[in-house]
Amino acid sequence: MNKILIMSLLALIITSCGKDEVIEKGAGSIDIEFDNVAVINNIQNQLSLVTPGSTNYTYTNGIGQPFNLNLLRYYISGIKLEGPNGASFTDEIKVDVAASKGIYLIDESKLAANIITLENVPAGEYNKISFTVGVDTSGVKEGASGGVLDPATCKMFWNWNSGYIAVKIEGQSPVSNGGVGGTETLNSSSVNGIAYHVGGWRNVEGSAFVNNNKSLSFNFDTNAKVEKGLEPHVHMILDVISLFKGQNIIDFTGNHNVHKPIDGKPLADNIPNAFSFDHLHQ
Amino acid sequence: MFVGAIILGCQKENTEEVLDPYVLRRPDYFPEITYPISGNQISKSGFELGKKLFNDPILSLDNSIACSNCHVKAVAFTDPQHNPSVGIFEREGSRNSPMIANMAFQPEFLWDGGITHLDFVPIFAIENEKEMAETAESVVRKLNASPIYPTLFKKTFPSLDTITAPYMLKALSQYMLLLVSDQSKYDQFLRGEANLSSEETAGLTLFKAKCASCHSGALFTNYAFLDNGLDVTHKDIGRALISARAEDTGKFKVPSLRNILLTAPYMHDGRFKTINEAIDHYRFHVKDTPNLDTRLKTNGKPGISLTDEEVENLVSFLKTLTDYKFISNPIF
Ligand code: HEC
Ligand code: HEC
Repeated sequence: MNKILIMSLLALIITSCGKDEVIEKGAGSIDIEFDNVAVINNIQNQLSLVTPGSTNYTYTNGIGQPFNLNLLRYYISGIKLEGPNGASFTDEIKVDVAASKGIYLIDESKLAANIITLENVPAGEYNKISFTVGVDTSGVKEGASGGVLDPATCKMFWNWNSGYIAVKIEGQSPVSNGGVGGTETLNSSSVNGIAYHVGGWRNVEGSAFVNNNKSLSFNFDTNAKVEKGLEPHVHMILDVISLFKGQNIIDFTGNHNVHKPIDGKPLADNIPNAFSFDHLHQ
Repeated sequence: MFVGAIILGCQKENTEEVLDPYVLRRPDYFPEITYPISGNQISKSGFELGKKLFNDPILSLDNSIACSNCHVKAVAFTDPQHNPSVGIFEREGSRNSPMIANMAFQPEFLWDGGITHLDFVPIFAIENEKEMAETAESVVRKLNASPIYPTLFKKTFPSLDTITAPYMLKALSQYMLLLVSDQSKYDQFLRGEANLSSEETAGLTLFKAKCASCHSGALFTNYAFLDNGLDVTHKDIGRALISARAEDTGKFKVPSLRNILLTAPYMHDGRFKTINEAIDHYRFHVKDTPNLDTRLKTNGKPGISLTDEEVENLVSFLKTLTDYKFISNPIF
């Protein structure tokens, strides 16, 4: 009852301020879901996080070193959709003290957060998505922002070298000699800990400042049709195995305690090939 | 005719107008404002909230230490007592507490420039084990549970439901942004409101010749990270901590010299107790370090030559940078 009342009120308001184009005619929504998986022998396995300290190793990197994960969290921002017939939608980034619109935190321990619902998407057909893994620089330049960027609660913020971590991974590998500090799930006595806090948002030639944010684009295999009453659902995949064996092999006997932009670059460079479009349904 | 009368009337009023102290103003000889002020409009209540937070030990782990313990107003918001700054549990901090003045114009913060936005400095102070040893998350919890803060925050940020860290940080920034020091004798001189004595003038000339290549402009810093020859080996590697470049080892941000006679001890670790010791460093003790700035070498020899009389004149000039109105402003 109430809902209907509010809806009709909204409709009234919308028609009365049509000039503002609050909602485009016939606009709809679309869901983008990020499924975190481990691809083993070309088979996608749902990622399973272990409790910190677990010695149950189900994954291996590019050089056969076993590992497991306790934590996987990353930012997605600046989503853009495009279609074959000119349809286009940019999910505006607007960060302020109260909220950070257009920036999303995907957290494997909170699966509900892994579905991003984009609203007010103009009706039409879409077959391409672009986004940034990490927080677009506008998110840093505004200073302290709310929502998923809240530096006190997001646990994705470096305070001594200020900026956001794009991708945070913690786990263990039997070949690691531990000694990881400054983490959420491990401490320096975690003998086999591995921690990859990959961030950095600006490039300064020849220095440790590297921009580890990655802008990626993917084509869909079919068109997603957006219109009022339809809510297509796009499945994107992040394969965690590929993060450790792409262009760069991440050796757990090497630097397995990454907390600076430059140290995170090898893993960051594996990000583009770790993401893929999987499928969509109407 | 009528319109003209109104305009004239207004003009007359303008000359007697008292400037609103809660507006950030840039003196025209200052550099541009670096803080994106549009995202944090300063208000009287926001400034006052920031000031209250700045002076409240609630921001530290055992409620024992406030920002104002290490940034003392009477000495231009530096720390006169501890060398270097001592935080909670008497842990020794490794760095000297810098002046908080003219933050609105500063591009990067901390001695190593690790922070690029003023909002993010307090969270570093709060979460730094050597400073306040608290977590921002728990400070926010304490603020929400306090009998006074929820009302004060709501007054400044009417749309707020519960206090979160970004609101606290914006309020602290509002306070720090208005801490503008531009009322020293030297400012009056620049504005044509006062003359310098002959010693001060001689000191200014020397300063321009020997110091202003680094301590440049109206704020007396070019905000570069440089090695002024303090040490050959480093306990604190400075800028290299952030940039990870060997050639940045031992480089620190060139500090502003405004209020310099108030802000002892000097240098990033507070090693010099008096201004004369600091100047004597440049005269006699500059070390030929690998990253020493070339401006501190004359004919291949490190150091800046100054006679005793020149030092006296230089100090006379530096005294004109003391802003008594700044440190006695009741609003701050
Ligand atoms: C225990 C002493 C201590 C306390 C408490 C403290 N500070 Fe500081 N502050 C310092 C030191 C030391 C530095 C320099 C740190 C560095 O360069 O790494 C500093 C740096 C700063 C700077 C940067 C100045 C510049 O020119 O780069 C600001 C701004 C600041 N503090 C504000 C605050 C605020 C706000 C608080 C309270 C939330 C606070 N401080 C609490 C000691 C302290
Ligand atoms: C090559 C650049 C350079 C020149 C030239 C230079 N300085 Fe400095 N000055 C610095 C740097 C860098 C620091 C900070 C060093 C540190 O703390 O490690 C500094 C620090 C200081 C400080 C300490 C300020 C504080 O708040 O702790 C004083 C005082 C000072 N300089 C005075 C002078 C005077 C006077 C001259 C001219 C005789 C001069 N400087 C010339 C680069 C320079």
